[in-house]
Amino acid sequence: MSYSTQFRIIFLTITLAFMPAALADDDPRHERHELMEGVGKAAKPVGKMLKGDSDFDVDVLMESLRTWRDVSMVFGDLFPAGSETGNDTEAAPAIWEDRAGFEEALGNFRDATAAALAASPTTLEEARPVVGPIFKTCKGCHDTYRIEKE
Amino acid sequence: MARSSKPVKAATTRTESKKSKSDQAEQPREETLVGRSSRTAFALLVAGLVAAWCVTEPRPIAENDLPEHSPDVAAGEQVFWAGGCASCHASQVDGKRAKDEKKLLLGGGLELDTPYGVFHVPNISPHAEDGIGAWSMIEFVNAMQHGVSPDGRHYYPSFPYTSYARMTVEDVMDLKVYLDTLPSVAGRAAIHALDFPWTLRRGIGAWKWRYLSAEPVMKLMSADTIVERGRELVEGAGHCGECHTERDRFGGMIADRWLAGAPNPEGPGRIPNITPAGKNIAEWSVADIAYYLESGFTPEYDTVGGSMVAVQENMAMLTKADRRAIASYLKSIPALSNQPVQ
Repeated sequence: MSYSTQFRIIFLTITLAFMPAALADDDPRHERHELMEGVGKAAKPVGKMLKGDSDFDVDVLMESLRTWRDVSMVFGDLFPAGSETGNDTEAAPAIWEDRAGFEEALGNFRDATAAALAASPTTLEEARPVVGPIFKTCKGCHDTYRIEKE
Repeated sequence: MARSSKPVKAATTRTESKKSKSDQAEQPREETLVGRSSRTAFALLVAGLVAAWCVTEPRPIAENDLPEHSPDVAAGEQVFWAGGCASCHASQVDGKRAKDEKKLLLGGGLELDTPYGVFHVPNISPHAEDGIGAWSMIEFVNAMQHGVSPDGRHYYPSFPYTSYARMTVEDVMDLKVYLDTLPSVAGRAAIHALDFPWTLRRGIGAWKWRYLSAEPVMKLMSADTIVERGRELVEGAGHCGECHTERDRFGGMIADRWLAGAPNPEGPGRIPNITPAGKNIAEWSVADIAYYLESGFTPEYDTVGGSMVAVQENMAMLTKADRRAIASYLKSIPALSNQPVQ
């Protein structure tokens, strides 16, 4: 087997291995799910700080704030017609029935995150009043625009 | 039932006496036998009806049975949130669940679509005609803990008095004076649209005879005041078992399946198992459970969902100590698998 044939096989194998992920990422239902998982992961260490369960870490906080900002900018685009059901989506029909309400709820998340980034808190005392409102927007949107799957 | 049983009795007696006159000479022995067995059957029928009448009779308590207690409005507010009154009785706003201060407008009207038919949740605001403003203390206690209306009829157990029966009477009295402070709302809900035979309210007496008890569900192994307080909240006012416990075919909670999860009455899926064998309770600490009830966030920072959202918002109004008590109780009860009853 020549070197180039070996290279070709390796290249193909790698490509094929990543194919399912690449294909799935074209599915907005999958993409929005992944993004929301990331939002939750970013929330966990921040929640612990706010509760006093872990020490305040400004880098971790800023990292989470940036994650949330990035998601908040694109999240609304991931609910095109045709993605209402299937693939275990937890998106509620209310997103398509009341688009303006959904955009508003998402806007609250975007605004709260932007405000916290702008404030760029450096202590727990500074963080509390600007991060708390972001957490509120999670529930504010989920209550209406997410359905409960077991 | 009483009215219809009397004519039956009269008719039977008349037929018997006619028969005995005309047929006596021809078939004396058989007649005696028939007469005896029909008399026995009749006696059994009457005994059955009397027993059914007694069993199904609404049993309110008397005013003298109320304890010496000066009801407290602030304590009553805590009972109000623990009891989740607003989740069913607050009038919807534009077809959606009431939020914030709108939860204090208890005009009712919510429709509960159940296998028995549609229940229309009544107005419990202090409105004198449409609500319960004209009720006395004893009428309120009888409604809450004995499922009996002021005019002496049974309430359907869609109103969770089976759980409220386990509250202290003092708590119920506190709740009454708090409800009296809320805004009066006009308007009455529609009459329940139930399927036969559930329309026969008297039959609920038999159901109560079997399922209504003020006894705690769980016997505590050790005297722990925190767990005891949790039991009071979960089994009583909080009425957690009403959704989290599977029911038998008569709609009574199955004690052996206490809090082990049940089919979701409002759609697909199941209401989670919240015994220590349930996924969440197993993985979460007491602090995690208490924080979830306070903030609506799971330890993974997912948020509370479904019909639990309204419950969590109520629990957020309790004291930290009470939320911890609920969590401690849930951690202490027997672990039951998710396996539903066959």
